[in-house]
Amino acid sequence: METVELKEQLKKQIVQFLNLSVKPEDIKDNEPLFGEGLGLDSIDSIELIVLLSREYGITIQDPKEGRKVLVDINTMVDYIEKNRTK
Amino acid sequence: MGIISSIGDSVGLNRNALKSGKCGISTLGLFPSKYSGELPCGEIKTSTESLCEKFQENREGITRTSLLARHAFEEAINDAGWDKSFITSPETAFVNATTVGGMCLTDELYRDANAATNGSLYLSSYDCGSVALYLQKKFRIGGIINTINTACSSSANAIMFGARLIKSGRAKRVIAGGVDSLSKFTLNGFHALHILSPEICRPFDLQRKGLNLGEGAAFLLLEKEEDIHDRKVFAEITGYGNTNDSFHPSSLSAEGNGPYLAMREALNVSQLKPADIDFINAHGTGTENNDAAESKAMIRLFEKQPAFASTKSNIGHTLGAAGGVEAVYSILGLLHQEAYANLHFENAIEGAGLVPVTQNMPMPINHIMSNSFGFGGNCTSLIFSKA
Amino acid sequence: MLYIHHTACISPQQSFGDINIEALHESVNNQLLAMEPVYAGIPPGLLRRMGKAVKMGVGAALSLLADQPIPAGILIGTANGGMEDCIKFLNQIIEYDEGMLAPGNFVQSTANAIASQLGLLNHNHAYNITHVHRGLAFENALIDAMMLTAERPEGPYLLGAVEEISTYNFNIDFLDGWFKKTPDSNLRLYNTDSNGSLAGEGAVMFLVNGNPQSALASVKSVQFLHSDDEAEVATAFGNFLNKHADEAIDWMISGENGDQRVGHFYTRCESMLAPGTGICRFKHMCGEFSTASAIGLWLACYMIQQQKLPGHMIKKAATRGFGKMVIYNNYKRYQHSFMLIGN
Repeated sequence: METVELKEQLKKQIVQFLNLSVKPEDIKDNEPLFGEGLGLDSIDSIELIVLLSREYGITIQDPKEGRKVLVDINTMVDYIEKNRTK
Repeated sequence: MGIISSIGDSVGLNRNALKSGKCGISTLGLFPSKYSGELPCGEIKTSTESLCEKFQENREGITRTSLLARHAFEEAINDAGWDKSFITSPETAFVNATTVGGMCLTDELYRDANAATNGSLYLSSYDCGSVALYLQKKFRIGGIINTINTACSSSANAIMFGARLIKSGRAKRVIAGGVDSLSKFTLNGFHALHILSPEICRPFDLQRKGLNLGEGAAFLLLEKEEDIHDRKVFAEITGYGNTNDSFHPSSLSAEGNGPYLAMREALNVSQLKPADIDFINAHGTGTENNDAAESKAMIRLFEKQPAFASTKSNIGHTLGAAGGVEAVYSILGLLHQEAYANLHFENAIEGAGLVPVTQNMPMPINHIMSNSFGFGGNCTSLIFSKA
Repeated sequence: MLYIHHTACISPQQSFGDINIEALHESVNNQLLAMEPVYAGIPPGLLRRMGKAVKMGVGAALSLLADQPIPAGILIGTANGGMEDCIKFLNQIIEYDEGMLAPGNFVQSTANAIASQLGLLNHNHAYNITHVHRGLAFENALIDAMMLTAERPEGPYLLGAVEEISTYNFNIDFLDGWFKKTPDSNLRLYNTDSNGSLAGEGAVMFLVNGNPQSALASVKSVQFLHSDDEAEVATAFGNFLNKHADEAIDWMISGENGDQRVGHFYTRCESMLAPGTGICRFKHMCGEFSTASAIGLWLACYMIQQQKLPGHMIKKAATRGFGKMVIYNNYKRYQHSFMLIGN
């Protein structure tokens, strides 16, 4: 899958999984997921780790380690491309 | 008082266990789960079948939660030597607390909720109210019956509600406390939140990795002073306070606002000063968030930190039963003028630097505080004083 | 004495916002689903996680709290709270065989999610409690509020009740025989001679304190009992009426629900009323659920305020006005409550 396609797919998955009111196409690739930007919180970070596991077969055991990956769409897609097993 | 926990099935046995530093936390034995043999829990090693046998109940619609509650309830009633007419009197209230209710029957609930069967025998046993209803029917308790669910502070709130019922004249006597049994539901829920420890919990320790779930039941019998006559008295409830932390659905504010305000409110009601508190039975779950926030709150409130310990190091976090179980432990400390050690502690939390009591020892205690802080930020503090 | 100053009710009828309960909306598939408003005032970040029960409860409460002092207590009665989220999490446990699970549903599934979300939104550190005793969850919250208004009259206290028809609750209660087995309608709820009622849902909120000035209505007394014996219930009701014999009751608001197995409790209590007392019913408007008695209380306030009631509620007309009311509700045969309401 092309990176551009993966980014689109990931944004749709995030919006659906976290039940966000924002449209997938309105999420910027480098917009911070936590704090300012999309404004996600600690429960969301755990949910995103579950999403990575279910959709891409990637296991992140420690949520703290996960936060290093879950910075923005770019870092997530980069990590998925390198580690996906699905 | 009456109690059942992973370190004993009576008040006396629990006290002996606390005095000998017994830890009831181990990997699951009876409970069927993927995590059996993996996650440490404060499991009561009495099967539901043998509880049914003991009470001559035929498993139809009866849950483990109800049976544990009955065990502790009966001990409390028998211990008090109440006349049978006391229980059926419309002036006798029963205030229970539970977060699990009949949801310990995870698989049955899944099938019934998804209408996958014609309905199991447990259809009316899933909700939290089912436990109090079971006991009300069994013992024909005649007065106000209630069930409270505020997550981890539930039974502390039940005791507080019971005390207020008596104070307002709505009841002459109250049986108050709570119960929770291990369930796949809570086990997986806490595991999903990454707050279960893969090891035995270490409240207030620098290396703490989370909490261990436990199960248990405990009830206190409350009466007004002038109604007791020559019956024995264990303690007086002199203070209570409930507040909301209002920070996040599943974690406490770093400053421990909710805990601080709850403790302060309890002190206000008791008209005691912080310096009057001789010992604190802390909430101390062993999670990074709770123990840090609770420490902060204690430092803010107490100029001189009172001795404190968390008995969750002995039995784990019994959720809805925690407030009740820890009330019994606090009253035992008060009665026998002794402190029970906070187990598995080595080094203090950085910054806070609070060191709990780590040895069992005699201790002069006039006023003891018991704290329970829960999901959704619900924080309750109770103060028991020498009678 | 507890005084009600403001009310809000989200129910299957037009009871919220632009209120019009004269027109009766019909049930669908034996269910009376709530007419939910557009939820204003809830930040999207929190709204996205909320199940229906929490949304209704928070939505109704926020409408009361605008322009009001922060409550000195939040007291909620709900038997099943976030049951829908509870079962969603349960489904995950089974589906993924206790594997890696998303925790959002678990956090929202606790019964005290409504009260704690309200505390969060309101930045409220005050007393926060959730009573969950099935058909008496609201009555216990009410007693708790009455104790608070006696202890600290200034308040104000936010008192409420919430319940939702989640697929799962419905399935469980349906299998247990509490809802009609064949297609039925609320329009003829009381004319049937079958078992069960119709499923309902709603959120009712009251802002209360111990101050009579400008109050809409007052709750003078609440009593409840556990019994399936008609004589016992009649004795309790008789004692309740006698305790307040100095106040002529104008209306009995009855929780009769179309279930033929419990109708006799209502008939018996109705027979004990003084001549001239009116009888009206409300479960055809909201359906049956554990905290439906809160709808009864909302309607009592409505009747006292408006000095009238919709014709479809009347079982027997009153000869007197709209001063004192007694609400009698029964839930699943065994739990009974009486409330005395005044102007």
